Amino acid sequence: MESIFEKLWRLGPAALVLKAIVVAITANGLLLAFILLRRAYRKRYFAKRDKRVFEIRQRWDALISGEIPFETWRANSFDRRIIETIALDAFETAGPQESGRLLQFLRESGLIEKRIFEARQLTGWRRMKALVALGRTRAPEGIPALTEGLRDRDPETRLAALRGLGRMACPEAADEILAWVGERGLCVPALPLQSALVQCCAERPQVLIPFLQYADGPLREVLARVLGEVATPSLGADLLQLVGDEHEELRAAAARAMSHVEPALAFNVLSQLARDPTWFVRLRAIISLGGFSDPRAIPVLLHGLADSHRLVRLRAAEALVGLRTKMVAIFQQVTQMRDRYGLHAYLTATENADLLEKLKLEVQASTHLSEDEKKHLQKILKSGMLSSEEPAIAESVPVKGAERL
Amino acid sequence: MIRFLEFSNHALFWYYLASNLAYLVMLIVAIKTSAAHQRRLESHRLPWLKESPLAPPITIIAPAHNEEASIRVAVRNLLQLDYPHLEIIIVNDGSQDRTLLEMQEEFQLRPVRAVYIPEVKSAAVRGLYRSDVDVRLVVVDKEPGGSKADAVNAGLNVATSPYVCVVDADSVLERDALLRIMVPILADPKRVVAVGGIIRVLNGSEIQGGQLRRVRLPRKSIEVIQVIEYLRAFLIGREAWGQGNMLMIISGAFGVFRTDLVRAVGGYRSRAIGEDFDLVSRMHRHLLEKGADYRIHFVPDPMCWTEVPSDLKSLGRQRARWQKGLLDVLWPNRDMLFRPRYGRIGCFALPYLWLFELFAPVIEILGIATIILAACLGVLSREFFLQFLIFGYAFATVISIGSVLQEEITYKRYNDWQDVARLVSYCFLEHFPYRQLHMIWRLQGLWQYLRGDHEWRPLKRKGLESAQAP
Repeated sequence: MESIFEKLWRLGPAALVLKAIVVAITANGLLLAFILLRRAYRKRYFAKRDKRVFEIRQRWDALISGEIPFETWRANSFDRRIIETIALDAFETAGPQESGRLLQFLRESGLIEKRIFEARQLTGWRRMKALVALGRTRAPEGIPALTEGLRDRDPETRLAALRGLGRMACPEAADEILAWVGERGLCVPALPLQSALVQCCAERPQVLIPFLQYADGPLREVLARVLGEVATPSLGADLLQLVGDEHEELRAAAARAMSHVEPALAFNVLSQLARDPTWFVRLRAIISLGGFSDPRAIPVLLHGLADSHRLVRLRAAEALVGLRTKMVAIFQQVTQMRDRYGLHAYLTATENADLLEKLKLEVQASTHLSEDEKKHLQKILKSGMLSSEEPAIAESVPVKGAERL
Repeated sequence: MIRFLEFSNHALFWYYLASNLAYLVMLIVAIKTSAAHQRRLESHRLPWLKESPLAPPITIIAPAHNEEASIRVAVRNLLQLDYPHLEIIIVNDGSQDRTLLEMQEEFQLRPVRAVYIPEVKSAAVRGLYRSDVDVRLVVVDKEPGGSKADAVNAGLNVATSPYVCVVDADSVLERDALLRIMVPILADPKRVVAVGGIIRVLNGSEIQGGQLRRVRLPRKSIEVIQVIEYLRAFLIGREAWGQGNMLMIISGAFGVFRTDLVRAVGGYRSRAIGEDFDLVSRMHRHLLEKGADYRIHFVPDPMCWTEVPSDLKSLGRQRARWQKGLLDVLWPNRDMLFRPRYGRIGCFALPYLWLFELFAPVIEILGIATIILAACLGVLSREFFLQFLIFGYAFATVISIGSVLQEEITYKRYNDWQDVARLVSYCFLEHFPYRQLHMIWRLQGLWQYLRGDHEWRPLKRKGLESAQAP
């Protein structure tokens, strides 16, 4: 008797279609079976895990104090994973005392050593998981293993190691990252690198300065951005070298970093940066100046109010309004600038801060203004436009009923 | 004649095979990409991102036209989103109902002079408002522009952030959706110019206070079939196209774009039927012509839930409109086809759309007609026909179940056994007669467009209130 395969073969070209039908139906069956089996397995697994987590939680203190010998659970990978997860999650929210206790537990139970081993010996996703988990322990002895991960050929492993080092959040980790980027250049996406460095350099931002001097290209931009985030008043003089940099990203970072510096030093520099040819450098400078809430910044902020970029105008207006002093004098100067976009931005910021009524009252009550000046300012406040000018809103908004733009 | 019919039947078979094979390849790419994405997310910390000074500001633009039933819930939902620097612009697009009044009551709006610079075309603006309850909320009240595109353009003219996120006012975003959709931008801000998120079907789910409380499968068959369609389109199609940097559509219900780029291409085209597809294709063209190194990403986990049509008439209109939108974009961009200057877009993405999306209803319906004709003339090979039917059915079902599997192993939003069982059963049921009906709607869309009906018509929806928990 002929086998089914022989019959199929005899069908010639039709056999191809029949085979395809068999394959498609089998694929459907397999997909369905996979979905069902996976669901059933996961349901069972989660129920078992939930039960075990509850039991472990009941004896948590005894577990981490070592009252329950570590040997009783270390060999069981199911228990070990649960305990490690609970410990690492607790780490995220723990205060210094509790962190110390948890770190001691992780060390004594050998969990850190195990992760160090996995981070060095495993490959693929398991290694990446080990690298991130090692970083979450914040144990300094994990840094060498993470540093080895940074030098891996696989970019995903490098990223995992970088994230792990970022979670260490200590200057030693920053040193390793900086040494690595110094030697290899920017070989990972900028954001994870920035994030890791922001976390690690917060305590000692000075470590960035020497690397910033020698770095070039995109790496220099990344380091400058990090410096902008973590700068402290003690960095004042070091930041000055960035102010005149040819790279606009660096000048912007310097402007941002200057917000952390002594106002006496920052004012002149920021005033200079507020006139930079690049709009986002001016924007950063204006925001930083606004952050000082110091009336000495008023002339520069007024200059920013007449900027060609709308975001710079808006931030300058917000900074001027944010001063909450000399409102009438500032408003008078804004009107004297005869810049309707500047006036528009200023009135918008005043309204957004809900200070328009206050400004009206102050203008009314002002003793420095003549009656004519008061009337003039009140009129501008009421109409939102400069005299002999079209209303600012009409300038920018298509007129109702007009042809669609 | 007989030879023509035989050729036509075989051509249909090969067309169908090629179309399903293309989807199979996409399924494999998508499964691989999502697995990598899931693993990568394990080392991300979204809460850190939430407080990060590195997160760039985003302006959310939500056009609203006659949304009085759902506008309060929708705006509350947007205000609750997790993101450090957010501005929310609701554009009241000439609503004739109480949409603006509802917002004024709920969010205490007051007229302001927010900076409005008409960089992109839009109908006239009646007024600008800011909320006293939450200063991040700005409302633009404008004359009806006749399209969503026009309303979004008005929002673009007010936006002050470097990125804009365009959403539908009647959609529900998950709280961390913005954090998730921004991950590719934060990873590569210089190259990533736009990111699309996934749209899921809201019908049947319970929402409370603007937040999704419980995900359930809709009750009506027509809605369940749309769930499968959305899973297939997003979890397979867009995931795979995005992986190859060939994403041509970022859904109008949820996508993030670089503001300066959207303005540079002139914003949304007011008269476009498929404004979302049109914008992305113009962005591709603009950037490719400039020789820019850029990426347009798709992220499958920031979920946006939206209501889908629940009756055949509305669904038919929607699908006809989508088909019109497709032709409305593909025809003006026909010069990009097979031109090396337009890279993968011109050589793969656009030809695929022409062949397997635009021509699909024509080819399939002609194919069915020739099969019927061949049967009438007695020249149809019964064996061939049966084999083709079974094979086509089984192969298409593999793709549909594959999309359910993709959802199951990655995001697993349908936790109920019953829901999954129904979803899988509909993978077998959607092919007859829904698929044929779908083809007819799409053909109608093409016909309407060729007859000169280029109007954009909004669909009637029930609104978020109707989906609220009892």
